[in-house]
Amino acid sequence: MTVRWDLLLIPSFLFTFILLSVSQTLFLEGSFYKDLGLGRTGDTLDLVNYVRVFTDGFYLTTLWITVKVSALATICTLVFSFPVAYVIARMRSSWGMILLSGIVVSTFITIVIKVFGIIIIFSADGWLNQFLMSTGITTEPYSIIGTQEGVVIGLMYFTLGFGVLTLYSVVQTIPTSLEEAAEIHGASRPRMFRRVILPLAMPGLVAGGLMVFNMCMGAFTSAALLGGGKVFTLPVLIQRTIMMEVKYSMAGTLAAVLLVAVILINVLSIILIRRMHFARGVLA
Amino acid sequence: MSMKSMTRLTTGLAVAGIVSALALPAAADGKFDGVTLRVATFGGSWKESLDATITPKFEALGGKIEYVTGSPQANLAKLIAGRGRAPFDVMEILDAQVPDFAATDFLAKIDLSKVPNTKYLADFQYNDMMVASWNTQETICYDKDKFAELGVARPTTYSDLAIPALEGRISIPDITSGGGLANFGGFAYAAGGDEVNVEPGIELIKSLKALKFWSRGGETITQFGSGDIYAAVVHAGWCVRAKNAGYPVTSVHPVINDKIKGVAKEGWLGVMKSSEHKEAAVWFINEYVGSDFQYRAATKNGVMPVNQEVIARLGEDPVLSEMLELDPAMIAKALRVDYSKVDTSDWIDQWNRMVSTQ
Repeated sequence: MTVRWDLLLIPSFLFTFILLSVSQTLFLEGSFYKDLGLGRTGDTLDLVNYVRVFTDGFYLTTLWITVKVSALATICTLVFSFPVAYVIARMRSSWGMILLSGIVVSTFITIVIKVFGIIIIFSADGWLNQFLMSTGITTEPYSIIGTQEGVVIGLMYFTLGFGVLTLYSVVQTIPTSLEEAAEIHGASRPRMFRRVILPLAMPGLVAGGLMVFNMCMGAFTSAALLGGGKVFTLPVLIQRTIMMEVKYSMAGTLAAVLLVAVILINVLSIILIRRMHFARGVLA
Repeated sequence: MSMKSMTRLTTGLAVAGIVSALALPAAADGKFDGVTLRVATFGGSWKESLDATITPKFEALGGKIEYVTGSPQANLAKLIAGRGRAPFDVMEILDAQVPDFAATDFLAKIDLSKVPNTKYLADFQYNDMMVASWNTQETICYDKDKFAELGVARPTTYSDLAIPALEGRISIPDITSGGGLANFGGFAYAAGGDEVNVEPGIELIKSLKALKFWSRGGETITQFGSGDIYAAVVHAGWCVRAKNAGYPVTSVHPVINDKIKGVAKEGWLGVMKSSEHKEAAVWFINEYVGSDFQYRAATKNGVMPVNQEVIARLGEDPVLSEMLELDPAMIAKALRVDYSKVDTSDWIDQWNRMVSTQ
């Protein structure tokens, strides 16, 4: 008798599907009605919210800021996490596992605590500003609160552990024999990185990068705490629209725009990477 | 039965009688046996004050109180999302929300005969839908030492903060925070506008070049401690708490115009129509406006009581007399935003646009 292990997927699939589809459908459907105040919505289908979002500079700017800080945070996360992932993946001693465990444990820490740690480090009387001022690098304390740079740092901190873990598994798929072969043939470390490691890691980097980007696009806490009420990303604006204005339709519209933007960026990125890959193949 | 046994029996019965007599009032007071009252209120030291004064009294009557902590805005959003079926029995309501509640059917009528402590309130502070619970005096709280170090004079108006030395060193309430709307109104009036014309206020806020728009008053205490800010627009209670935490701060009630000094915000309490424990909820409101909690909230949390008997006592407290305006004539001069004229959605929209262009 054949055991149908695939049937085990059904409960989790149904659970996820119901939770996701019901909540998203409610918001998506609501986005096509006009807000009448105090959580009430009109009863005729209306595109007024979408028209407003796509014709109002404020919402377009907010969407642009969300994409910008997410993209920057993604690039920073990849730049910082790849070397760490590479070194850990190539470690032969037990230190590799210890460091990896440390990174896993760091992902258990709630983002609120992580962000407050950043706020303390960058506070006017914090050690970083004291160091910068005592060494004459700056004359005034540098604050990241209420700046887009601060939000990027917060998002990067939020996704760094995830980035290292993802790229660790990517690096592990690259055989060390290829690096050794390149080295034997006289390739320098930078050349080997450029011609061997990077091309082989590229699909994983793209996939990991997109996952990090998606996480950043939906991240609320870092943007809310480090943005200091001065940097609006779409998740922050959605929260304000629901909690303060109780405009469920507009919040649904913004959530739909965010979702579609994320899907579009992902699809376009994959198409772009494939074309680049294809062009490179033709040139080679 | 021997004489000795008789004596023992008599003594035993007497002891049992005394014990029963002592236990009787507790049994009689157990009128809230098994009742779990859910109260939507503020967290932190506010909840601690409730726990220190009202909770033990309710527990002595056999009940239990669960505090659902969060902002009144968040609680109103929950109420609307639940179409009036609230996950609490009684809730804190901001003055800015009063028109919203008037437009809905979420509140139950309050039997004022069960709220005898309204005798300590002014007539306009209670009706059969809501009972006033506290006032806040919105102030400029500033670090005296930093101002002296920078050679900056004591501010008297908001625009006094618009100087290069304080650039990026001021925290202002976000419009979504508890004091956000009241202070936004204050800025509008101070700059020559009003509830309908807030544009001048927006320009004034921009000129202050704030570091942050705070969403919880407690953030300002942290930022005074970390040296990030030298002044904050915040209600006097947060300044009291910052001073109690050891920071060299004091508060100023800003001059708004020739006739207005200071900005006031009012809190109210209402019983939810969906509540199954309305009697307990009304009992809670009575205790809330009673002297014990009102005095504790004033001295520990720095809010202005609504209870006249408590207000009369506050002058004895050196910190409160420094931070709060206790002169009734001056209290009357504070700005009270007329929320019936306010289009909250428009205010928030204008605020959001101001922030995004900064």
